[in-house]
Amino acid sequence: MKIFNLRKQMGDFCLQIDRMELAPGVVHGLVGSNGCGKSTLSKLIMGILTPDGGRIDYEGLTPRDLTMTSQKPYLLHDTVYQNLIYPLKVRGIRPDEAEADAWLARCGLEGKKNQYARSLSSGEQQKLSFIRALIFHPSFIIVDETMSNLDPDSTELFEEMILEQQRIRPVTWLIISHQLIHIRRLCGCVHFMEKGRQIAQGTPEEILLYPQHPAIRSFLASTEVFYRDPEAPGAGKAAAGREEEPERPAGNGRDGER
Amino acid sequence: MEGFHQIFSEFFGTVGVVDSIRVTLIMSFFSTLIASALGIFLGLLLEKRQFPGKRAVIRVNRTLMGAPPVVIGLLAYMLLRKKGPLGDLRWVFTIQGMVFAQVLIITPIICGMVYSYAVRTAPAIRAFARTMGADARQTGWLLLREMKQELYFAVVSGYGRSISEVGAVFLVGGNIKNNTRTMTTAISTLKGAGDYYEGVFLGVILMIMAFTVQTLADHFRKEGGDENL
Amino acid sequence: MKKTNRVLALAMAAALAGTMTACSSAAEETAAETEAATEAAETEAETEAEESSEAAEAAGDDVLLMATTTSTDDTGLLDYLQPLFLEDTGIDLQWTAVGTGDAIQKGKDGEVDIVLVHSRKQEDAFVEEGYGVERFQVMYNDFIIIGPKDGAVAKSDDVGAVFQQIRDEELGFVSRGDNSGTHNKEIGIWEALGIEDYESNPNYVSAGAGMGDTINMADEMGAYCLSDRGTWLSRKADYPDMDIVCEGSDDLLNQYGVIAVNPEKYPDVNNAAANTFIEWICSPEVQDLIAEYGVEEYGEPLFFPNADQGEAAAEETAAAEEAAADGEAAETEAAEEAAETEAAAE
Repeated sequence: MKIFNLRKQMGDFCLQIDRMELAPGVVHGLVGSNGCGKSTLSKLIMGILTPDGGRIDYEGLTPRDLTMTSQKPYLLHDTVYQNLIYPLKVRGIRPDEAEADAWLARCGLEGKKNQYARSLSSGEQQKLSFIRALIFHPSFIIVDETMSNLDPDSTELFEEMILEQQRIRPVTWLIISHQLIHIRRLCGCVHFMEKGRQIAQGTPEEILLYPQHPAIRSFLASTEVFYRDPEAPGAGKAAAGREEEPERPAGNGRDGER
Repeated sequence: MEGFHQIFSEFFGTVGVVDSIRVTLIMSFFSTLIASALGIFLGLLLEKRQFPGKRAVIRVNRTLMGAPPVVIGLLAYMLLRKKGPLGDLRWVFTIQGMVFAQVLIITPIICGMVYSYAVRTAPAIRAFARTMGADARQTGWLLLREMKQELYFAVVSGYGRSISEVGAVFLVGGNIKNNTRTMTTAISTLKGAGDYYEGVFLGVILMIMAFTVQTLADHFRKEGGDENL
Repeated sequence: MKKTNRVLALAMAAALAGTMTACSSAAEETAAETEAATEAAETEAETEAEESSEAAEAAGDDVLLMATTTSTDDTGLLDYLQPLFLEDTGIDLQWTAVGTGDAIQKGKDGEVDIVLVHSRKQEDAFVEEGYGVERFQVMYNDFIIIGPKDGAVAKSDDVGAVFQQIRDEELGFVSRGDNSGTHNKEIGIWEALGIEDYESNPNYVSAGAGMGDTINMADEMGAYCLSDRGTWLSRKADYPDMDIVCEGSDDLLNQYGVIAVNPEKYPDVNNAAANTFIEWICSPEVQDLIAEYGVEEYGEPLFFPNADQGEAAAEETAAAEEAAADGEAAETEAAEEAAETEAAAE
């Protein structure tokens, strides 16, 4: 997917993406401080908002190939099961109940199949929303802050499922998260946004380990406990220590890129 | 049945109560049906579309929600009478005419209620439908399904207005016995003739009817819910 | 309740078509709190509606739509005549009971086939403007002034004196205030007395209501009001504190006229049925029926038929006195008839 000169004015805020490439089959991370336009961009991609200018080249993807899950997912006034199979119903696919059960079991929701979906806890609601996005095998999935505010087990489950999907078939992911740990573990490509613009695009190491842009450095300094701005006095050691971590996410990204 | 008929006729005299119940049922059913279809459609459309003067339209809608029915009734009468623009329909003194006037009264109420619900819930539902890849028709259907609770309340409010309204029905229907006399206009006829107790009794029947419809609707709604849950 | 009404209601119920009865029963079930699904009843009603509208179309010309004043409806006269008219002619009389002004306007709009009202000036204008074909006088009743039994006004037959006293002593007075025939009559009396500021009486109330409501209001306030005799007779049992304080004056006569809406103005009005009705209601048999109405229940008739004097009165407008004499004669005649019927009943 390629984005050219995309522009959207929302009150005082203006999103302006001159050029952004989301290579197919890659797990992309979208990072930036609050209000930088990450959610606006994902809504533009989903077609929930219409841009004021510019265009998005979907490269053959139709609206039916895209999906998005968010931190506060919309759940139908219906049962857990009906929520799960809704995207299949939309596509006229007969749901395979055994498969649906398997998905629910994965998230520990097997006993709540016929429960009213909105009575689930917020963590369970996020899980349900997540497997609902996976069940119909879309080609492009936006994960908007879904992994924030979850307990470590659930976060691990999500990461596991994302990586598993990548092994089965190539899916383009766009993961929006505050927690850079997920981005580092999962993503092959990171996009950094600041004040409605993309200011950097590259591998997680390029962006997060050796940040060039001062805005990224100050962002990392404010969010990552162990990060020290290398240009700030006496900060070099902490940053160097990170270098020794295994580079799993990069490898995954390369797989996607072939 | 004849027994009931006799008791009714004896108690209420020549007001034609039994037929007024029939007329009330027919009229309120059709006016609620048509006004609901129109009101829900317009309410959702108003929420979805952006156009110049939208705020003014919403304000007019809110004003019409509280418009005195007798004014709307007079307007409906002027439209429907032979000299009026819709005179060729020949709807004055007919149930169709009363339904027409009631649709004019109830549609803005349902439309306004649906609009204010939709403003709160529809954007999220529409965004969700988009992420699920639903097409326009599926999105519309989803909106109705997800808002059914709210729509139900709007429709019930419309129905309540329909059976309780008297001014417009009197003006357009003419309160013709056995023909366009409704329970409410029968009550006002009884009152005009000084038969207050009979009027109150008929009012109680009207309220029992409203209560029964409400109970049945609740019952069906719960049953429908149980199927899904 | 009223015996006559009861019998009539049953007769009417019997006359209802089979579909109507079936439908009414469905409606009754709901009303009687039967837990039968209201929706089912509604669906049924829906089907019935189609059927009955078809039936109405089939019947077509056999419906006569009348605009009339509230008094003919409130006294039950039309309920009394309607089944008889149906039996004699096969025409179904339907009516909408409104104020005289509204009734005539409905005639001018061509919404009804015929009007039966009591306001001579408006009726004549209606015919002169070409909306009505011709006015036929049908019957009269008379107005009375009613008020508290032991009130300030002594019983008399001098309308002028009573109105003058009400104005002078600022007594309570409830006016219809709805531009009805009764209201116009009241204004006429004030005008004849040369009293223009009658509304400046602090106890003068303009009710904007029907006759029944106006009487009720007068009773509640201990005030006087002008009423037609028919409405008073049918209500007086409910108002033990009130009585007639003025009656019997020629100034208080209330003449009803019936006018067919002009088919030249509105070709689709049911003129044939309207003419049939006029002929029917002016026939001696029906005139006798009108004279009998109310005698059994109230001991005196509510309306005095005078169709037979109508034409004479209309033609010889110059001979006003004669006409008045005729009116009196009719009254006596009717009274005699009433006495006869009463005797017969006993």
